[in-house]
Amino acid sequence: MSNTGTDSNPEADPSPGTHSNAGTAVSLENVRKTYQLGEPVHALDGVSLDVPRGSYTAIMGPSGSGKSTLMNLVGCLDTPTEGTVVVDGQDVSALSGRERTSLRGTEVGFVFQTFNLMPRLNALENVALPQLFQGISRSDRRDRARELLERVGLGDRTDHLPNELSGGQRQRVALARALVNDPAIVLADEPSGNLDTETEAQVLDLFAEFHGGGTTMIVVTHERHVAERAERIVHLLDGEIERIEELEGGPEGDE
Amino acid sequence: MGPLESLRLSWRSIAGHKLRSGLTMLGVIIGIAAVIAFVTLGASLQAGVIGDISPDDQRNLYGWAADPDVEAGPGAGAQPVFSQNDLDAVGDLEDVEAAYGYAPLQTQTISDGNETVPQGDGVVASGSSYIRADTLEAGEQFESGEEQAVLNPAAAGQFEEDVEVGDELTITLLTGQQVETEVVGITDTSEGLSPFEGFENSPRVYVPTEPYYTEQAAEMGGGQQEGDGEQTGDGQQDGEQTGDEQQADGDQQNGGEGDDPQTAALAMQDEPEAEGADDAWFTAIIVEAESTDEEAIEDARDAATAYLESDESDAGEFLGDDLVVSLETSTELLQQLQDILSLLQNFIVGIAAISLLVGSIGIANIMLVSVTERTREIGIMKAVGAQNRDVLGLFLMESVILGLVGAVLGTALGFAAGYLGAWYIGLPLVYPLEYVVLAVVVGILVGVVSGLYPAWRAARTDPIDALRYE
Repeated sequence: MSNTGTDSNPEADPSPGTHSNAGTAVSLENVRKTYQLGEPVHALDGVSLDVPRGSYTAIMGPSGSGKSTLMNLVGCLDTPTEGTVVVDGQDVSALSGRERTSLRGTEVGFVFQTFNLMPRLNALENVALPQLFQGISRSDRRDRARELLERVGLGDRTDHLPNELSGGQRQRVALARALVNDPAIVLADEPSGNLDTETEAQVLDLFAEFHGGGTTMIVVTHERHVAERAERIVHLLDGEIERIEELEGGPEGDE
Repeated sequence: MGPLESLRLSWRSIAGHKLRSGLTMLGVIIGIAAVIAFVTLGASLQAGVIGDISPDDQRNLYGWAADPDVEAGPGAGAQPVFSQNDLDAVGDLEDVEAAYGYAPLQTQTISDGNETVPQGDGVVASGSSYIRADTLEAGEQFESGEEQAVLNPAAAGQFEEDVEVGDELTITLLTGQQVETEVVGITDTSEGLSPFEGFENSPRVYVPTEPYYTEQAAEMGGGQQEGDGEQTGDGQQDGEQTGDEQQADGDQQNGGEGDDPQTAALAMQDEPEAEGADDAWFTAIIVEAESTDEEAIEDARDAATAYLESDESDAGEFLGDDLVVSLETSTELLQQLQDILSLLQNFIVGIAAISLLVGSIGIANIMLVSVTERTREIGIMKAVGAQNRDVLGLFLMESVILGLVGAVLGTALGFAAGYLGAWYIGLPLVYPLEYVVLAVVVGILVGVVSGLYPAWRAARTDPIDALRYE
């Protein structure tokens, strides 16, 4: 577990994680993202962060703190203006658009606040969608999707369209979809924002369960109790890492 | 992502908007249906009117004289300017095998013994080789100058007992005059034997111009010659006189009305001024070349035209700037008909092209709407690893399906319309199946052209914006 709060001394980072891809799922080094909105706005201003494999990280911060930008960068949807983002050992900035898409498809699983399921595809097809773009055969895709749906407790809902499922069920479908390619990280953006307390607990329990199975989880949230499920909380403020809060049940305590 | 997967996904989104997709296809459907319907009708029309040209027919040159400005197809505006003497002279030309006149006789009935059937047209007077030997089912060609006839199966079958070779028939002409004829042959087809007749199936009786046409012309004027005994005595007195006058004229041309061809026509048909057998005037002639070689046909055409236009011939007197001889083979004549048909077809295709253009714009428009509507879906797909080309393929596939299904539906509709049209007009139905391939290709093309820009827009959608899109 290693991190550096700001860009003050990235080279001095003593953690083996920065130097070994095997141990680091995502590594940000001195990342700056600048938008030209009349005058330049630094959405992220020198962020360095390592996310070890198998960890469970929450990212918190108020609106405009750079959470979404950070998520887009980690999710290979965007490239930094300065600095490097390394996902699963690959420098995202150095990749072509196609390679970045490919990396995103295989190594990043997204879970969104609004679920973002394809409305005309049933649960099984939604879960299988990421594999469709990886050229995996139809029967293999269906087997894998069915297996994951069973693991999230929706084995009996495979034929249902998203609008026939409850919010919690949809988010579980989305989680199954995020996991289908066995990604290096699962990136969840306010995963329980649209859920009531009970279903939120169910979904977060599932997160914990998959984390327990070895999946690297990154959850972006502004709710303290959601963030507290993680091993550590990264607090963002005005595009910089304000502080990193280690929680009980950290890597050592988490089996 | 394979094309089959794209197809599956695209089809799903089309099926999700049935009404919208149906309306979008309408432009393509109408365009394709119009083309297919008219092409089907055109092909059926060709098959029905034209039939097959016998290879042996190729040596025949069909001739008439008409105002060169008249462009209404074979024989239009033709005037009777060819005399029997002209035909005899043309027939004697070096490059010409034979030349004879062609004239439909106006008749009322045909009788076989006691049985009489009506026969208004379809009795054709011509030369003996008009009936080609290879088209005879039974018997032989009639001899010129003999009271003989060849029937086609439709004519022979009109009687309770089919007419056979050797039977005697009585033909009642329009004038009420009756003439005898012996059946010497039956043809193997009921279709017309030359472009002059038209090519549809109908009962036809072929007789030699001599004596039937020449004599009818004479009879109407009161016949100088002693006919076949059946002639009415009525006209005879007039005729005798007229004949005298004509002989005095010395110039064995048409009657006293001068050398206007129109008058010649009248003389032949209605006026009592007509001449004797030798002075029948023909509107249509047939010149046979030595062989079916293109060269032989050209030679025959040149020789016949040169003679007919010269002062030597009777026709030469009428021919000039306002009246020009045309001598054309069946193929050339059909070419004219086909030219007219294809002109019509081009016109329809032009209209259809406009419809297809409108259809393409409709598809493009609806695809742009669809891309905007599904921005979020595009974002999702890109987030989970869809490459730009996957998205492009997906939307392109969708518009191609719209174009293709539109084309297929349009083809079916066009064939149905063509079928109804052909059935209504009574043509043999011919489906131009090569147009199915063309329609499919056009449908795909329309889909690609109209879908390319919307699909490209979809492909370059930024996933970050798209995921945020409400």
